[in-house]
Amino acid sequence: MATTIATINLASTDLLSDAISFSTTTNLTKAGSSTGLALTTGLGRTNFTTGGSAPFPGKVIYRSDDALTGGANKVYLKNLSSTPAQFFTVFIDQEEMGRLYAGDWAFFPWTATSGVKETFTVTLTLGSGAVEIGDSWEFDGIKTTSKTAVLNTFASEINAQHYPNWTTTVSGAAISFTARRAVEDGVITGDTAITGDVLVNLNGSNLTAPITAGNTNPSTRSESDITIVPSVATTMTLEHMLFSE
Amino acid sequence: MATTTNTLLLESTDLFDDSLSISNTSTCYKAGTTIGLDQTTGLTRLYATSETQFDPFPVVKGATNAAENGKVYIANLSEDETEFITIGIGDAVIGKLYAGDFLWMPWSPKLQHVNDIEITPSVATGINIEYMSIHNYANIYPDSVDS
Repeated sequence: MATTIATINLASTDLLSDAISFSTTTNLTKAGSSTGLALTTGLGRTNFTTGGSAPFPGKVIYRSDDALTGGANKVYLKNLSSTPAQFFTVFIDQEEMGRLYAGDWAFFPWTATSGVKETFTVTLTLGSGAVEIGDSWEFDGIKTTSKTAVLNTFASEINAQHYPNWTTTVSGAAISFTARRAVEDGVITGDTAITGDVLVNLNGSNLTAPITAGNTNPSTRSESDITIVPSVATTMTLEHMLFSE
Repeated sequence: MATTTNTLLLESTDLFDDSLSISNTSTCYKAGTTIGLDQTTGLTRLYATSETQFDPFPVVKGATNAAENGKVYIANLSEDETEFITIGIGDAVIGKLYAGDFLWMPWSPKLQHVNDIEITPSVATGINIEYMSIHNYANIYPDSVDS
């Protein structure tokens, strides 16, 4: 287990009539335990150069899907600008937290409330005959062409692809897809078709790829993505780091 | 003008193969300036004996400080690792501060109830919580009771 120590020191000799100075130190641990947080994105640096005019587009720095929902995750942000008027506005989902002006930093916990990811299962089905070498199924921009006449092998070939927006598992002729991101409206349009899928069924086989299981409706979006919006169109730079469970 | 400095140290010798050591010091300035923030709520310590949500920095009705650059410090002083306080802002949950954890974040209060900071203890058996804001807000704590 890793040991990561965070310390804040706050000091002023003239904010009040007497000086203030205090320090707080904490060990970054998992929720409800003394086990240290072991995962991190590492210290990142992101440039924002939007061009155009306000309101400027923001960037999602950390998505809720990247950390354990309800975990004792911690986020560190710093505005590297040296121009006092330049700031980043920090949002949790649609809620504005505040502004990080030049040189400012923030360190705060993050619940990372994730939504429900869309899932579905496609089962390769033969009405008659066998899979033709050359039969193909395309989804999410990835086309798989069968190299054999064995149904389950074709399913394994589909599973072995790397889909940009989905992860997969396979069991026999059934390939289960899980969205990489939780979004409000998925791509499943019913229980027999998928937007964007294309099945090429050559002569000699009677292959179909129906959806046989899945949560076709209840996918929901994440509700605590961290979005950063710059205050100017010219380049601003943010340093950031996520410690997570 | 006041000068208030805040420093964060993040250190680990075993989170990576190499050690981690981050040190940042900044000064609390008014928005867009190098003029120091000159108001503070003071460091408050509250022994919370209820799981009821409360606003540590109530915003007065009609006040707006959306363009300001205040800072907020909150710490959970509990020594029981299972006890936490949930920090929210407006309709969003930011996260949970477990025993010993702290946060330091900017805050630009909008109209009352719009993006108030909220604290919800996880237990009613008593948690010591410290909190403080350094700011130049108009019409904020401790002038009003909020919900």
